[in-house]
Amino acid sequence: MSTSLEMKKIQKWYGGLHVVRDFDLNVDPGEFVTFLGPSGSGKTTALKMIAGFEQPSGGDIMLGSRSIVDVPPYERGIGMVFQNYALFPHMTVAENVAFPLKVRNVAKAETEQKVRRALELVKMGEYRDRFPNQLSGGQQQRIALARAIVFDPSLLLMDEPLGALDRNLREHMKIEIMRIQKELNMTVVFVTHDQDEALVMSDRIAVINEGRLVQVADSNNLYYNPTNRFVASFVGESNLLPCRVDRIDSGAGKVTIGDHASGVSRLNGQARGDSGWLFVRPEHIDIWPQGAVTDVENVLSGVVESALFLGELTRYVVRCGNESITVKQQNRGQTRFANGTPVSVSWNMGNSTVLN
Amino acid sequence: MTTLLAKRKVAGAAVGNVPRSKNLLSGLLARRWIRGTIIATPILVLLVGFLVIPLSIIIWGSVEGSKLTFSHYVRIFSDETNLSVMLQTLKVGFAVTLLSLLVAYPVAYLLTQIESRALSIVTLFILVPLFTAFLIRTYAWMIILGRQGPINNTLIWLGIIDEPLPLLNTTFGVIVGMVHVLLPMAIFTMYSSMVRIDHNAARAAQILGAKPVQAFFRVYLPLSLPGVFSAGVLMFIISIGFYITPALLGGPRDAMITQLIVTQLTTLLNFEMSFASAFVLLLVTLLILFFASLFIPLEMIWSSSTVENTNRAARSKSQLFSNAKQAMHPALTAVEHLIHLITKPFLTRNARWLWAYTILVLLFLTAPLIVIFMLSFSSSSFVVFPPPGISLQWWEKLLHASDWHESFLFSVKLGAVSAIFATIIGTMGAFWLVRTTLPIKRALFLFSLSPLMVPVIVIATALYMFEARIHLLGSFAGLVIGHVLLSVPYVVVIMAAALRSFDQSLETAAAIHGARPMQVLRLVTLPLLKPALLTAALLAFLTSFDELLITMFMIGRQTLTLPFKFWNDIKYELNPLLSAASAFIVLLVTAAILTTLWIKVRHDRRTSASIGQ
Ligand SMILES: Nc1ncnc2c1ncn2[C@@H]1O[C@H](COP(=O)(O)OP(=O)(O)OP(=O)(O)O)[C@@H](O)[C@H]1O
Ligand SMILES: [Mg+2]
Repeated sequence: MSTSLEMKKIQKWYGGLHVVRDFDLNVDPGEFVTFLGPSGSGKTTALKMIAGFEQPSGGDIMLGSRSIVDVPPYERGIGMVFQNYALFPHMTVAENVAFPLKVRNVAKAETEQKVRRALELVKMGEYRDRFPNQLSGGQQQRIALARAIVFDPSLLLMDEPLGALDRNLREHMKIEIMRIQKELNMTVVFVTHDQDEALVMSDRIAVINEGRLVQVADSNNLYYNPTNRFVASFVGESNLLPCRVDRIDSGAGKVTIGDHASGVSRLNGQARGDSGWLFVRPEHIDIWPQGAVTDVENVLSGVVESALFLGELTRYVVRCGNESITVKQQNRGQTRFANGTPVSVSWNMGNSTVLN
Repeated sequence: MTTLLAKRKVAGAAVGNVPRSKNLLSGLLARRWIRGTIIATPILVLLVGFLVIPLSIIIWGSVEGSKLTFSHYVRIFSDETNLSVMLQTLKVGFAVTLLSLLVAYPVAYLLTQIESRALSIVTLFILVPLFTAFLIRTYAWMIILGRQGPINNTLIWLGIIDEPLPLLNTTFGVIVGMVHVLLPMAIFTMYSSMVRIDHNAARAAQILGAKPVQAFFRVYLPLSLPGVFSAGVLMFIISIGFYITPALLGGPRDAMITQLIVTQLTTLLNFEMSFASAFVLLLVTLLILFFASLFIPLEMIWSSSTVENTNRAARSKSQLFSNAKQAMHPALTAVEHLIHLITKPFLTRNARWLWAYTILVLLFLTAPLIVIFMLSFSSSSFVVFPPPGISLQWWEKLLHASDWHESFLFSVKLGAVSAIFATIIGTMGAFWLVRTTLPIKRALFLFSLSPLMVPVIVIATALYMFEARIHLLGSFAGLVIGHVLLSVPYVVVIMAAALRSFDQSLETAAAIHGARPMQVLRLVTLPLLKPALLTAALLAFLTSFDELLITMFMIGRQTLTLPFKFWNDIKYELNPLLSAASAFIVLLVTAAILTTLWIKVRHDRRTSASIGQ
């Protein structure tokens, strides 16, 4: 049974270091939320406060309707998968999985049944009598997961659980974790600094930078509608061009890009005269021989500075005045532009936003 | 939603069932500083109450309290006899240290090179002598060096000498006996720091054109010097505080400062004088340690695995070493060339030479034990070697010797009680020392090792006076306190090393999955520390089981402990019954070591982090 999690204005200071600032986040029951952020941004610290290993310096954490900041970890009823798995090396697989039940004095028969079902869920039923050092990394990961869910926790925490796995295994475990989460309808808080992981797995992603939540959104919105320059550059590749808003016209802004070129873009709360950054994804930009397009809102001309063939697409860097613009074009047999070719690049107004 | 377990009760419900007192305890334990205080108290009480205070009392006593007279010190240094005792002590200490280092170095070097099966076999051959009581080993040397001993007999049989050489009761005897006693410790101390040196460094030097000798002298040796140095310091401070071996193997002119202290305290009843002598011994020891601390982190001497984050110290030390080396460079090069020419033919097969040498050393280490074994089956009623015939008479006698049985049982009881207390106190202390966030962590760790720094004779003297004052002298508790004091540092060293390599995320994992602090301890922490606990307990037991000096002072009218009984009998007469008793103890010790090793290997195999199907 899953529970909601609510973090209210959580703060964490380490000495003079403000590691987590004004964390405000609601996680709905059954929701999969990922903390995504660069190294040192405070993801682990935030998770530790939910788990109860660290006391918040301020704010409140609610699990369901109950405040848990003063509840020790062992009474919170939270499951957790650790980056290094933290399996107990002196216990067999079955004993590891039974551990949360054992310390809660659950009856033998019930324990046995739950352990069996948890092991089946992670497809490790036949390994129950092995010791952890007789398992591969991926298998240990599954056992760690089984141990974390066997007592039907109200919330499951995972701190970079896939970090120690090789790439194939990681792909596989992503899917497995998603399957199990859906099957049990668990509330999950997942920590990673890998954006692919975050984009694939999460219902919502909470992007953290320097201890602050900078945007909380689902994958699609986060990718296409970042509200912040940090998010735009941290998640996926993007072009950020300095610009100034000249005129506002039914929600859209007439902007000056760089020194002189003019364009049209969606706004993100800017007023007339504000300067900001025009955000547009490389795959939303088309590239033409110079002068071939005129009917699109945003056109810049420039010169191809580099062209990299990447198989399914070609990645161009086009120099337009002082700005370098990255363009990704699907390869569908069209001729590629060589270095030094004069070109025009264009994009639709709906694909660009002005960010602060 | 297919539910794995639809009842969420599990998580919440169990909490309600727990008695309040348990919650209270858990609540208390959750607070860091309360937990710290609880686990720190026993070891601090022990060290302050039964080491610092007693030492202060005798130091105070040595100047006759508020009279502040230094006459006793003046007497130590003005009296011809006393002065020569001091010099003899330093001389023997120096010789023993140098010899043990020289003999031990190649063995330690070999140990770092061999694979694990051979290593454990060689280790066993060193461990058994190491854990066999000093007294037993010294007894064996009394036989070997005696007028009728195997050495004299062989030499006479070979016709090299006509008269037995006087080997016993000479400085030579003392030195041989003490080297034998200290050698295993020297090997292990050096090995534990040499094993961290990467042999590839020396190999790289050879690839770069260094001759094997140069590679060794210029790369490996300098890297191993800190280990050698720390072993040397340890050997020296132990040997100048040694009592048993010099007392039994030396002659009247070989008296060392420990004997001076004992005589003054027990025979001459000149308390202040003995305090002053004890303080001088303590001062010399502390001075040496202070000097050593300029070169190496002190904890390296007793526990090389503890040394972490000490690069700073290590650098200043290697600086000093390298300055010295620079000065001697031309001479060094010449010597190197010479040695290279001499050793060139051997070095290609150097492992074999090392092996031959190591086997010789192992023979030297085990020979006394073998002599004891053979003697225990002697048909003669005197100690003659080789025995004229074989019989079981001495073992039968031992079987019926009720005084030996009593002593044995009493020693076992004392050892067990001391080991239990030492293990508990030391383990709690180690938890505290490893996990505390106090900035003086390192100083505290050194303080917890202080019973190893203070010569045992000094501890014995101080405790004797102190316990007499608080009316503990002669009681079982008083004896236990002394033994616990001596064994606690070993427990701390072993448990601290184990705790440092302990993965704390396991405890965190246990906590988040519902285990209360005491459950974490019982289900996760302690089971994982089991081998270390066992080793620590065994070491504590053996320390107590072998202990003589403290016992001599504290025993009062209780049953004699085994070592004390031994001591009395040896001084009275050498007979093969002692051999049977010794042989029996050696067997017990060997069995205990093997059991512990076996448990450890099994545990390690199970919990090691290796991955593989
Ligand atoms: N116990 C502590 N004492 C002092 N500072 C700490 C402590 N733990 C973390 N920090 C600091 O808090 C900041 C955030 O650390 P945190 O471990 O939460 O980062 P993270 O986002 O998990 O990074 P990573 O992706 O590298 O795991 C870092 O600057 C770190 O140095
Ligand atoms: Mg982290």
